[in-house]
Amino acid sequence: MKRWIAILAVIAIAAVLPLLLSPTGYWIRVLTFTLLFAAMAQVWNIIGGLANQTSLGHAAFFGIGAYTSTILVLKFGISPWIGMFAGGFLGGIAALIIAVPTMRLQGHYFALATLAFGEVMRVIANVWTSLTGGPVGLSVPFVPPSIAAYSFKQLLPHAYIALIALIIVTVIFEAIRRSAMGYRLRAIKENPAAAEVIGIDTTKVKLQTAVISGVLMAMLGTLYAQVAVFFDPDTVFSAASISIRVALIAILGGVGTAIGPILGALFIIPVEELMNDLFSSGAAGLSQLIFGVILIAVILWRPRGFITVFDSLMARFSNKARS
Amino acid sequence: MSASQPLLEIKGLNAGYGEIEVLHGIDLQMFEGEFVCIIGANTAGKSTILRAISRLVPHVTGTLRFAGNDLSSRASHDIPTLGIAHVPEGRHVFSDMMVEENLMLGAFTARHAKDLSSRMEGIFELFPRLRERRGQLAGTLSGGEQQMVAVGRALMLQPKLLLLDEPSHGLAPKVVEEMHDAFTKIHSRGTSILLVEQNVGLALDVATRGYVLESGRIALQGTSAELNENPAVRAAYLGI
Repeated sequence: MKRWIAILAVIAIAAVLPLLLSPTGYWIRVLTFTLLFAAMAQVWNIIGGLANQTSLGHAAFFGIGAYTSTILVLKFGISPWIGMFAGGFLGGIAALIIAVPTMRLQGHYFALATLAFGEVMRVIANVWTSLTGGPVGLSVPFVPPSIAAYSFKQLLPHAYIALIALIIVTVIFEAIRRSAMGYRLRAIKENPAAAEVIGIDTTKVKLQTAVISGVLMAMLGTLYAQVAVFFDPDTVFSAASISIRVALIAILGGVGTAIGPILGALFIIPVEELMNDLFSSGAAGLSQLIFGVILIAVILWRPRGFITVFDSLMARFSNKARS
Repeated sequence: MSASQPLLEIKGLNAGYGEIEVLHGIDLQMFEGEFVCIIGANTAGKSTILRAISRLVPHVTGTLRFAGNDLSSRASHDIPTLGIAHVPEGRHVFSDMMVEENLMLGAFTARHAKDLSSRMEGIFELFPRLRERRGQLAGTLSGGEQQMVAVGRALMLQPKLLLLDEPSHGLAPKVVEEMHDAFTKIHSRGTSILLVEQNVGLALDVATRGYVLESGRIALQGTSAELNENPAVRAAYLGI
């Protein structure tokens, strides 16, 4: 209950914040990407947190979504809103294809198999020039601004769409966590052997979470394409800046909790931007180095994620309110 | 079911893990309402028989039938739906869940049944301590209490056959006795039990019939009284 009040407060702040930022400025862009990455990390959290399968290949679904909607606009003039669902469908199929052989793998092996899958998708997108434009990348065509065409003059609507997406995926995450399926996943996570003897089809439940996560991740790929306007295979299928980053955001924030990925994204994306802002004029790689040092410090400080800071603050707050 | 048709029928069962065969040609029969034990030394393959019934062993050949169903074509998560509940060795409770949640998960395949709360009530009558600790996390319980949770979780299914794998392992003697009293009660309520036990004296005390397993083969079988009298059993397992 307390958590939900906090979530509502965060939503309220996020809803007002874009209005305070310069509509053409740099920081509204940072905010949009923060919200988008929070949503992506939340989607990762469905499989990484609830099913306890650390995927390092979520860029595969993300890229499929970005490419599907953009190719549909370019070749057939189909609205990205529809393309988003087409991408979601293909993302779900891709998740099923990768999950069937890999779901039985655990821990490092699953992570490595998914990492390889993401890389394979990146290579395919680079080579299949007739469909994807290859390494040159794709530009989302400019169409007259309208909601139906998912085209806007400013970033402000994109920030709100990202916010709504984040709210939706967070509600989905929480609904799954509290459902019978959430119980099954908890049982599998705690004790796979016992889960199987009491009649839980562990493979099937894990497949379901993989497909849900894959569908949603691909749909967010469309959102990204519409904001970024231009992308290439090495961006949307990137292991480092998509797959590992979303996992990192969720883990740093607090894996398996609804607030974790949001806290993680609110920290990582702005700090990363700030480091780039402050240090990119210095020596090459300096900003990444400093960012890396900050990450290590944070992980050492809170190995179980920001959620623990959040929980202790909430506890102190409610104690004060009581006294 | 007619008395002539066994509830559980195992014929020529070979089972193992990878290259290693653990069981060689096991024949075992159980009728409805029986309380049968499998005894023998460590590594004789006792647990593997239960795990083969629950389809948890990868390589199995031979006949495995339960109440007219061929088990060898079933997946492990299908087995509970037939009425077989397995209490695995080492308890395997869901430690971060409450006792009540553990019990409810036991009825997972029967989750639409309307009498779940009365089933739980029956388990609390059998193990009053679980009622006291119903809201506690299972991981914080003592070994004996965790064993009660594991048995209770299996009973939530109202199984026809209860498979018990080393339920007294690592428990204090007093708790072991309590546990065996509970098994007698469960049996008297009409559940058939197949018990795997290292503690041969106790096993023959509660079960009506037994199989002695040696190196993956049935070495002896008979009523508990017969086995208790058997000089070989007495020498090897009872230390008399």
